[in-house]
Amino acid sequence: MKNEYIPYPAVIESLITESFDTKTFKVKFADKKIAENFNYVQGQFMQVSLMGVGEAPISITSSPSRKGFLEFSIRAAGKLTKKIHELKVGDTMFIRGPYGKGHFPFEEIKGKNLIFVAGGIGLPPLRSLINLVMDNRKDFGNVKILYGCKTADEFCFKDELKAWNKTPNTEVLLTVDKATDDWKCRVGVVTELWKDTDIKEDNAVAFLCGPPIMIKFVVQKLEGSGFTDDNIIMTLERHMKCGLGKCGHCNVGDKFICIDGPVFTYNEVKKLPKKDGAM
Amino acid sequence: MTKKVINKSDISKLLKDANNEYNVYVPMEHIGGDVLFSLLSKENNTLEDDIKRINLSSEKTVNSPKEIFYPQLDTMMEYNDKGEIKETVENSKKLVFGVRPCDFHAIAHQDHFFSKDYEDKYYLSRRDDSLIVVIGCNQPPLPNECFCTSVGTGPFLTEKFDIQLVDLGDYYLVEIGNEKGADFVNKHEKYFSAPFRDEIKHAESTKLEAEENVTLKVNFNKALQIMKTEEIPQDNLERIAERCIECGACVYVCPTCTCFDVFDDMKDGQGVRCRIWDTCVFSGYTKEASGHNPGAKKEYRAARRYEHKLKYDTLESGISGCIGCGRCLHSCPVDIGMSNFIKEITTNQKYH
Repeated sequence: MKNEYIPYPAVIESLITESFDTKTFKVKFADKKIAENFNYVQGQFMQVSLMGVGEAPISITSSPSRKGFLEFSIRAAGKLTKKIHELKVGDTMFIRGPYGKGHFPFEEIKGKNLIFVAGGIGLPPLRSLINLVMDNRKDFGNVKILYGCKTADEFCFKDELKAWNKTPNTEVLLTVDKATDDWKCRVGVVTELWKDTDIKEDNAVAFLCGPPIMIKFVVQKLEGSGFTDDNIIMTLERHMKCGLGKCGHCNVGDKFICIDGPVFTYNEVKKLPKKDGAM
Repeated sequence: MTKKVINKSDISKLLKDANNEYNVYVPMEHIGGDVLFSLLSKENNTLEDDIKRINLSSEKTVNSPKEIFYPQLDTMMEYNDKGEIKETVENSKKLVFGVRPCDFHAIAHQDHFFSKDYEDKYYLSRRDDSLIVVIGCNQPPLPNECFCTSVGTGPFLTEKFDIQLVDLGDYYLVEIGNEKGADFVNKHEKYFSAPFRDEIKHAESTKLEAEENVTLKVNFNKALQIMKTEEIPQDNLERIAERCIECGACVYVCPTCTCFDVFDDMKDGQGVRCRIWDTCVFSGYTKEASGHNPGAKKEYRAARRYEHKLKYDTLESGISGCIGCGRCLHSCPVDIGMSNFIKEITTNQKYH
């Protein structure tokens, strides 16, 4: 019987400091056989750990179309993630997974217009799908990426944001809550970006990740723009200890975010008990 | 079904013999009088003392046998600072002797939970080579709190057991439920003899009387139906939340609660990753590193526990997460408990 709780070492190949509190780690399994047999799909996550420190669920931010490595964008928020930030190229972290039966659709959304809405550290989970779309760009219609942060120094993937914006039929719109004098884009919450671009239900699917309050207002905006509940797709985050539907921490109603999600349609989220704070 | 009898005076001899082949877990009296499932000593000098402390009377173990297969604190792996990891899985041959029928149902619930979706190697390895001997309850061990007859989990089992004992005074009627049970009895045949017709009759009347002795009745099926279709009334949840002191006792004694936390501990280059029971009634249970806590409200945490056991478990597997053992009410310092909750939602009367 496989012991799903045992993690495997993965070596940090490169790392990028994205912002004052977030770094992106590119890692490879130390064991070549494991690396060769490893597959994942957009929207899944891994349990990432440091021995002697702890373990936490981290979404895979790299695209499955780019093979041979995994990327995690990690914000230094707690004991483990702060320790991970101290790691250097060549150091080892421990990973197991991938987890999450509920992932982002891909084949099903070919030919559609795509809207991505992210708040703060919510962009890394969406980036897996965004780059998968970019690597198959001709299969999709218009792509709009709406991204809001508290301040301008919080933005991740700055080079990629520029590159995505230069791609034909692709628009990147940014906003900050608090602007400095040199800020040229919008100021305000992410729904303010509705003023800068035309968001229509027209053959479109929306993908969301961000804090619960953002999700709530973005869903209202999207519904106002005519989106159905099945065409609003979000990835939820919860405190998790196992990723296997056992530890109980991410249980909401009859669902476990770890195995039934982390990606759900708004239609599914709506059916979860409100008191458990699904959103 | 094959039936035998065994003299009560032979039980300790049987357990001593079995102790050579199995790790034997049996209810034992501890300081202060608490009866707990404990491992029989393998050392001759302490074994006799353990044997004297065995208590198979109608006393209920404070903890359920859950912790034999799913210990409160369990080491999952050992590692060192070179990154070498060694899994620590326990898989000894076990005899769990004296399990109550309701707790046997809880083990079936756990077997299902730890096998579905992903197999939990720690639980399943411990459980794999185990033989369970059930003792039916002539008297409800917790007279004011047991409600097995309402749930359908006792006071005797009718199927799926390895071995079930019926207490007939100086001896037990031994019901052999499967091949595993038969193998055990055959191996220790010198302690078992064929029953007389009177003894079988006596056992049947004992079982009927035992049903009558469980006096706490609740409308369990009605509760399951209500939970399936309706929201728990807000004032009911608020009254529970007002009283609950968040001690977690109900969760620790519950034979079907499975939630755990995982932590690492490392010293001088050697470390362990362990899991430890956790409880959904604690406010920090859902707290994230960012400080966001989606499950913070106390009344919703109370609701979560009842919904999980009565609604979602039943919908998912058909096996209720409550087995009517009464431990939650018995252990609660402020008299919150499953039977009171069920009475409230089925009768509109206040019990909390």
